[in-house]
Amino acid sequence: MEKAIKAVNLTKAYGKLLAVDHIDFEVKKGEIFGFLGPNGAGKTTTTRMLTGISKPTEGTAEIMGYDIQKHAVEAKELMGIVPDISNVYTDLSAWNNLIFTGRLYDVPKVERENRAKELLQLFALFDRRKESVQGFSRGMKRRLCIAMALMNKSSILFLDEPTSGLDVQSVLTIRNLVRKLNEDGLTIFLTTHNMEEANQMCDRVAIINKGKIAAIDTPEKLKKTIKKLQFIEVSFVGATNNLTTELEKLQGVTEVAKHGDKYRINTENPPKVLSAIWEYASANNLEIHTVNTLGPSLEDVFVKLTGIMPEMRRKGSELGMRAGS
Amino acid sequence: MLFVIGIKRILKDIRVAWAIGEKDIRIYYAKPASLMFGILFPFSMFLSFVIGRNIPIDQAIPVLVAQSLFFASSSIGPVTIPLEKRIRTFDRFLSAPVSLSTVLLGKTIAGFIYGAAVSIIPIIVGIIFFQSIITDIIALTAGIVLSALGFAAMGIMFASIPGQGPGQVMMPLNFVRIPLLFISGVFIAVKDLPVWGQLLSMFSPLTHSIELVRSGLGGQNFFGPLLNVAVLTFYLVVFLLVGIRFHIINQKKE
Repeated sequence: MEKAIKAVNLTKAYGKLLAVDHIDFEVKKGEIFGFLGPNGAGKTTTTRMLTGISKPTEGTAEIMGYDIQKHAVEAKELMGIVPDISNVYTDLSAWNNLIFTGRLYDVPKVERENRAKELLQLFALFDRRKESVQGFSRGMKRRLCIAMALMNKSSILFLDEPTSGLDVQSVLTIRNLVRKLNEDGLTIFLTTHNMEEANQMCDRVAIINKGKIAAIDTPEKLKKTIKKLQFIEVSFVGATNNLTTELEKLQGVTEVAKHGDKYRINTENPPKVLSAIWEYASANNLEIHTVNTLGPSLEDVFVKLTGIMPEMRRKGSELGMRAGS
Repeated sequence: MLFVIGIKRILKDIRVAWAIGEKDIRIYYAKPASLMFGILFPFSMFLSFVIGRNIPIDQAIPVLVAQSLFFASSSIGPVTIPLEKRIRTFDRFLSAPVSLSTVLLGKTIAGFIYGAAVSIIPIIVGIIFFQSIITDIIALTAGIVLSALGFAAMGIMFASIPGQGPGQVMMPLNFVRIPLLFISGVFIAVKDLPVWGQLLSMFSPLTHSIELVRSGLGGQNFFGPLLNVAVLTFYLVVFLLVGIRFHIINQKKE
């Protein structure tokens, strides 16, 4: 598959500080690629280098085969950028913001007016197109910002924290729009703190920490890398005695903890332990009431790889789960 | 073929620069910082210069025109660029398929139109209320166009100073603008300056701005229109090139 983005040995140094430290990665055409990392890990610096806003100290970045430094105009014509803050012109109307963006990309007059109309309708802003953006809610400004990034019919959309600080309804709207845009063929480079968002939306994710790529893979494969964080949760009908010690003796079990009427069994090999539990239950005339396997979350992977408990971890995940459900 | 591509690219750059300039006109012309540094400041300085002194109107009008050109044109860049950098709308230009030179050309256009428009007001007032006459339209037009462009480019050059707002750019800019008033024939005519003062004033772009406007309105010219045009053109090119260079250097540090 062809590459939409290719970063080779990409480096950014501010004096002695290496903000981005010789990173390499590729994003395939048509995928949603998540870029995760704690604050100060180098996410925004990387995005700024990929989009040509900042010049790399070393290395190269290609957008659809065009080197962002050597063929900046060609590369920039193919991308749309939504930064972490909605940098819209608040003194202008939504319509004029879009028209100005069209002119900045030299989109012909009729085409830019049609495109602006189409985007305002898609982003549910058409009825308020003539109003000054000053009076828009944060969610509306965010939607306008994304619409502006699509004025040039870009092939790649860079989204930096697109749902950060928004209410649940706006989060849902934006996620659905991003999915739809991706279904229409747009490659998405999504920078986010929200693990659940990345888990639900991304085909692949890269985790960056201290300027280096810690891991790149699909969310599910990344979760599997943390074998020790796999659990089986089992409950038995009428089991009055504490079975913790007995269950710990089963082959492949690392640890057992009683959680109410359930036993949470930590294992690196769930299938093997599941068979052992069935055998144990039939040998001791126990009836299994429920059994669930619990894998590690993307957040667990993030915490393990970065060694950092992300800020607002719980809150972010909860919002992500609610918004995504 | 390459020639056609080159022409197309130049035309595209002009269209984009005009779009940026037009957007700045809509957003920033009426901002308090533009009004204060671009209009109120030169006007109040002019009043402090004329009030209580018996200065003939044919001497006062060219000074007001040139002062308006000087302050108004050079204020737009230092207002728009730091503000746009602070609210990160400047990133839109950096990520758009245009060169930094095109962006700065757009900003120069905004400063040029602002300065030219503000400077025309005292000319009209002079003609209507004080019987001023335009005696040399070419000198007057050259004076307005070259000065407005040059001073707008000077503002863009100063706007490369890193800062979080217009105030941080205006301060060093005023360190240059205000002393220039004293050596440019604003308060004392160039012919009345000592020789060393006349030599010094020759290097000030504001001197040549006043001289061309004065020629246009029937006044005397000390250095001559040709030297005026040559010096203003020289400063326009220098301010543009140095300004672009400084912005590129800053961009590399981003």
